[in-house]
Amino acid sequence: MTLTQFARPVTVGVLALQGAFAEHILLLRQAANVLANGGIRRDAQWEFVEVRTRGELERCDALIIPGGESTTMSLVASRSGMLEPLREFVKVQRKPVWGTCAGLILLSESANRTKKGGQELIGGLDVRVNRNHFGRQVESFEADLDLPFLSDHTQKTAANENGHTETKSTPFHTIFIRAPVVERILQHQPGAQLEEASKDDTVVAPSREPASLSAKAAMVSEVEILTRLPPSAPSLDRQGITAKDVGEDGDIVAVRQGNCFGTAFHPELTGDARIHVWWLGEVLESVERREGERQIS
Amino acid sequence: MASELPVANGNGHASQDMSQNQQAVKEGLARMLKGGVIMDVVNAEQARIAEEAGACAVMALERVPADIRAQGGVARMSDPQMIQSIMETVTIPVMAKARIGHFVECQILESLGVDYIDESEVLTPADEEYHVEKAGFKVPFVCGCRDLGEALRRIAEGAAMIRTKGEAGTGDVVEAVRHMRAVTSQINKAKGMSDPELRAYAREIGVQYQLLKKTAELGRLPVVNFAAGGVATPADAALMMQLGCDGVFVGSGIFKSGDAKKRALAIVQAVTHYKDPDVLVEVSKNLGEAMVGISVGKMAEGEKLAGRGW
Repeated sequence: MTLTQFARPVTVGVLALQGAFAEHILLLRQAANVLANGGIRRDAQWEFVEVRTRGELERCDALIIPGGESTTMSLVASRSGMLEPLREFVKVQRKPVWGTCAGLILLSESANRTKKGGQELIGGLDVRVNRNHFGRQVESFEADLDLPFLSDHTQKTAANENGHTETKSTPFHTIFIRAPVVERILQHQPGAQLEEASKDDTVVAPSREPASLSAKAAMVSEVEILTRLPPSAPSLDRQGITAKDVGEDGDIVAVRQGNCFGTAFHPELTGDARIHVWWLGEVLESVERREGERQIS
Repeated sequence: MASELPVANGNGHASQDMSQNQQAVKEGLARMLKGGVIMDVVNAEQARIAEEAGACAVMALERVPADIRAQGGVARMSDPQMIQSIMETVTIPVMAKARIGHFVECQILESLGVDYIDESEVLTPADEEYHVEKAGFKVPFVCGCRDLGEALRRIAEGAAMIRTKGEAGTGDVVEAVRHMRAVTSQINKAKGMSDPELRAYAREIGVQYQLLKKTAELGRLPVVNFAAGGVATPADAALMMQLGCDGVFVGSGIFKSGDAKKRALAIVQAVTHYKDPDVLVEVSKNLGEAMVGISVGKMAEGEKLAGRGW
């Protein structure tokens, strides 16, 4: 991590078309305090804004797409002239973006179990999500999960802080509300999307090429699986049979592909800012990389 | 405007005791509905129109409040078959109404798998003393209120979401405004109170002291709060949002109007862009006939539905 002094605040937007956007703003503020007070990145200045218009989006260095109803967000985005600017932000400029639950659906290149007639996706993650995977509200649940990517980060920051170690293995309390899962990682090639589009009840996002060199650099072909549910977790699809019973891994609930990060659960409902702290760190690195490249070119 | 609902309601990390009756996932779904419009629908076709318009959920019921009002008689829980056909048609959450105090209707709706139950004054009350004990259900509940006392009593019973009662089926927003303003002004009053004053005030409005204290500290209701009862235009919806509501229920206002599709879509846009007059101008144009409506000021007290609930 370079320690360049930022001349300007880093602007992080939360898409505020519908859903739990206010919760993310509150946790982002909490996370910024952790970063400032933890002595990790005291230099960084932050600005957190609600994003409803193209103009507001253009000001952002990074974006969170919150939980809510993905069909509503997709329709409102389309009617508010936001769908293409969002694709531009995520796929052409490849700026850092994080989607939670409905946000994960919108960031997927492919989704099934959408409403009749399908829905518009933004894309950015080469995955197929299964919407409302666990079923209706009565199947919503909470689970304590180990998030290894947070432990890595904690180790990294612990090293930076000269031995000030945080609890590495405290599980993260996750909340799944009518949640999707990533049911398949797709190949990063055009053919994979065409194949997806030909499947029944499956919608795909339109493909967009990264614009600049820095955007291309932020685009990586591999989707990293960050977290799975334990194999013993219930899955409605298998009617009471767990992944463990059939010798499979648990459902994928957090993924990352370059700058694009998605979680099926809602860290914004827990009061626990650890993922937000981690993500703001990633955002800073990405912004610094871009600023560096701009200065060189 | 009311302040934002803090994450985990200021309780810190979601605790284990919260997960016992799934309060976090119950209140969590309500948070996911925020900034959205929940529309009354009476069949699968209307549910699809609502979904295409961008509704964040639908309320499945046999008769919209305007018809209940016109036709009279006892209004009950809808036919589960009809609710089920709507659940099979749309992918957004489906809510359904049960009569006040009718816990068996609630058991039926829970077993059917609806996403939210509205224990509603729009239906004929089944109990004139008690509301349903909602905390024990796995399915979350929304309840109506006219003031802070009613809201906090419902939350104490386990409601995970609150809405104003307004005056359903009238197309007159005046009562929804009255109820929202009442809640806000009572919370403002409580905010300035000392502990002994809060205890006295809790007795006065018939609520638990702890819940009132928490509300005063938050400066808003501790759960998501929607507007309902009389919202008929995009301007009505934006008005309720600017008064501090987290989202809007529209009952008869959509499917009792001239062009339901267009009006539904306009109200959805108005709730997202409620602070942007330019958008409100655009979406308010050429909507056709609004529902005819009944002026609440000219109604006899006995005709009002909002008086139901205790």
